[in-house]
Amino acid sequence: MSNGSPRMRLPAPSSERHRLSRFAAKILKPATKWCLAGVFVFAAILPGLRAQTIEDGIMVNKSAICTGTLYTHDAWDHYWEGTYNRTNGNLGTVTTQTMDFTANYGVFKRLDVIGIVPLVWTEASKGVLHGQGGFQDLTLAAKYELIRWRLKEFGTVRFFPVVSGSVPLTNYEPDFQPMSIGLHAKTIAPRATLNFQGLGGLYVNGSAAYVIRGNVTLDRNYYYTNGQLYLSNQVAMPNQFDYVVSAGYRAHGVMFVGNFEEQQTRGGGDIRPQDLPFVSNRMNFKKAGASAVVPIPLHLFRGLQYWFTYSDTFDGRNVGESTTFTSGLMYQVQLHGRHAQ
Amino acid sequence: MTSLAEIFQRSVRFAPVVAIAGIALLIPGCTKSIPSSEQLSPLTPSSTDANAGSWKMVVLTGPTQISVAVPAPATDPGYQTELTSIVNEQSHLTDSEREAITFWSASGVLRWNELLREMVAANDLPPEPLANGTYPSPDPNNPFDMPTYPFSNPPYAVRAYSYVTVAQYDALKVAWYYKFLYNRAQPYQNNSKIKLLMPVTGLPSYPSEDAVEAGVNSTLLAKLFPTGIDQINNEANEQQEAVLLSGKASASDWTAGFALGQAVANIFLTRANSDGMKAAAGNAAEWAQLAQNAINQGQIPWISQENPARPPMLPLFGQVETWILPQSQVAVVRPGPPPSTSSPQMQQELATVKSAVENITRDQLATVYKWNDGANSVTPPGHWNAIAVPYISKAQFSEVRAARTLALLNMAMHDAGITCWDTKYAYFNPRPSQLDPSIKVLIPLPNFPAYVSGHSDFSASASDVLDYIFPTDASYFDAQAQEAAMSRLYGGIHYPSDIKYGLIQGKQVADFTVTFAQSDGAN
Repeated sequence: MSNGSPRMRLPAPSSERHRLSRFAAKILKPATKWCLAGVFVFAAILPGLRAQTIEDGIMVNKSAICTGTLYTHDAWDHYWEGTYNRTNGNLGTVTTQTMDFTANYGVFKRLDVIGIVPLVWTEASKGVLHGQGGFQDLTLAAKYELIRWRLKEFGTVRFFPVVSGSVPLTNYEPDFQPMSIGLHAKTIAPRATLNFQGLGGLYVNGSAAYVIRGNVTLDRNYYYTNGQLYLSNQVAMPNQFDYVVSAGYRAHGVMFVGNFEEQQTRGGGDIRPQDLPFVSNRMNFKKAGASAVVPIPLHLFRGLQYWFTYSDTFDGRNVGESTTFTSGLMYQVQLHGRHAQ
Repeated sequence: MTSLAEIFQRSVRFAPVVAIAGIALLIPGCTKSIPSSEQLSPLTPSSTDANAGSWKMVVLTGPTQISVAVPAPATDPGYQTELTSIVNEQSHLTDSEREAITFWSASGVLRWNELLREMVAANDLPPEPLANGTYPSPDPNNPFDMPTYPFSNPPYAVRAYSYVTVAQYDALKVAWYYKFLYNRAQPYQNNSKIKLLMPVTGLPSYPSEDAVEAGVNSTLLAKLFPTGIDQINNEANEQQEAVLLSGKASASDWTAGFALGQAVANIFLTRANSDGMKAAAGNAAEWAQLAQNAINQGQIPWISQENPARPPMLPLFGQVETWILPQSQVAVVRPGPPPSTSSPQMQQELATVKSAVENITRDQLATVYKWNDGANSVTPPGHWNAIAVPYISKAQFSEVRAARTLALLNMAMHDAGITCWDTKYAYFNPRPSQLDPSIKVLIPLPNFPAYVSGHSDFSASASDVLDYIFPTDASYFDAQAQEAAMSRLYGGIHYPSDIKYGLIQGKQVADFTVTFAQSDGAN
């Protein structure tokens, strides 16, 4: 039975830590080049501590919880009005900052549930538009490791069906794009993730989802979009397809991954000339970047790790040409003894 | 055996899964279809308004200014052929034809108003700046080139709403005059094989009122919103097809009505050509003079807060021709000056605006976006048309009375718009965010001076007219006007004084229209 106390891990031998920091130093210089290319940044991970997101093929242990806070800074001064890339003197640079409060809990050995609560605030560097702020949408996801296929001498292939959904946490205003903190749509997204973890360290992950979005309710009774006047406060939100692929090296507590992500919205109108964006616009993008996770060697908090992610939007439609980085601390604890299994 | 505590513990672990399943159930399985046309019930007029041919005209001198030839008698072989063709067509109606008949049964006046609002929204986009920091002007001779013509901002829009609805109103009065002069029965009354597929109107069919609507609207809309030409023509063709299939009007009823509508529209186009709108944009020297006038009064002049700075919106619109308000009264209803830009009262009003924005409640925020009516919208006058439509439909007004309601509404708003613009440019008063750059706004800032508020002016004039037409719902219209006006304070774009004097001016101007309506013969 569980004793309810965090399961403390043994301190890593100091030699291992030195080896890791030498390794980190080695990868830092090339990382700047990779940032410029907008493709690769590398991640280092201690054995037993694992990065887990809705999209990746990494699980927490049964009865373990990985929780933490991530700060995201997203900024753009160019954006795509339809397919036309432009700037806007009435916006300048639009910056969206997010604090994500996240938790990933191992319900069973093969089932994780993940919850994310974002606090978002926006601002524009030019013009007179008022920034917005507040709690955005609660995301909950269940990730199930359905197939685990061990390939002798090569590694392990895993397949995960995932379902995630989101609901607005507050009654924030969606009709003030791009200053609004979100779109205020409920979503449900079936997802499939395929993951390969090689014995030699090769790590490949691919994940794709179809995001079904509910209608958005506006505070007005009519709107004009996609060449038509609609006489309703309800906006039909086109569904979305997205996929993310990651590849890199992950072994002996070290992980390097580069990410590529694409979102396609299956309908919706373009931003009209000199108009502001609208909730149901066809928002497409392609982003490239990478993620890093670094352990924090504090003896009192053995499960603490530092996360960093960078991405660059290099193609899009009705979205900002944004540069995004995420930075934060995650902490993993074992809530119940493993002998309970 | 599993203990109760264990069962509880396990079920707690499943809570997140249950929560996700809950979210899934909240999402509609398939996307709801969103209405793009008004849900209106079929129109069975509560009165034929048989005397409408004698109601007071607005622009025409009288119904006989337009001549409509005597129709052929019911026994005429040509007319009989028209009736036979209706019999044949009715024998094989398609689903889309039946849908069109249902759609146009609701009231052509209200259906065309929907399209008018759509045209305004489609064209309500300010030009994008050029690389050199200047703004190109939409060119009426090349309407499809960027920036497309027109930019149907609120002054352009209110003028368009008023031209279309007033022309339609005068034209329908002419139609009523000839209907009851010639008294031709409807096709279904002249041939028992023809079914009436639209509600009974009790009206003589020649000239067709639907055709008058199609003639007026298609002619004026094509001039006012040239890029919408295909949609406009489709609308006219669809109405013609639906009405001719319905057994309500024959081909000759339609032809006479359409020609009548076109003739009246052309008279209004002539008026529009010389009503002062072409000069309303002004020029750089005139813009500079407006600023100088404010400086000469010891005031900080308005400046555009767009980047790059955009010329003020239609500064000479205050000189455009009015409908009912005597032109000489435009300066008379201009309120006194706003609080001086250097006065303690202005400091106090700035503090009120800032506090309104920073302490806004969610309900107030909803009001701001309900009444935003900024770019890409039907504009505030269109919003008031949309408010009036269900009341007109519910009252089951005859087409000529429905047209009267919309004409009175839009004439009042047009005249209020002119006096509002006259006031704005007489004082050239800065927006709150210009005098206090720490004030940020919740909707894009309109690019023209603050005093007096356009929303307040338009809304007070609209509610004044609707109060007169629908007195039992007056408290609702008044509340809407108050809400529209206050939304501009909550949004951070207007001072309390702009709202107070805008509401006063709008009502003052609309009272002229109400006085006109009280003696127009329709009561």
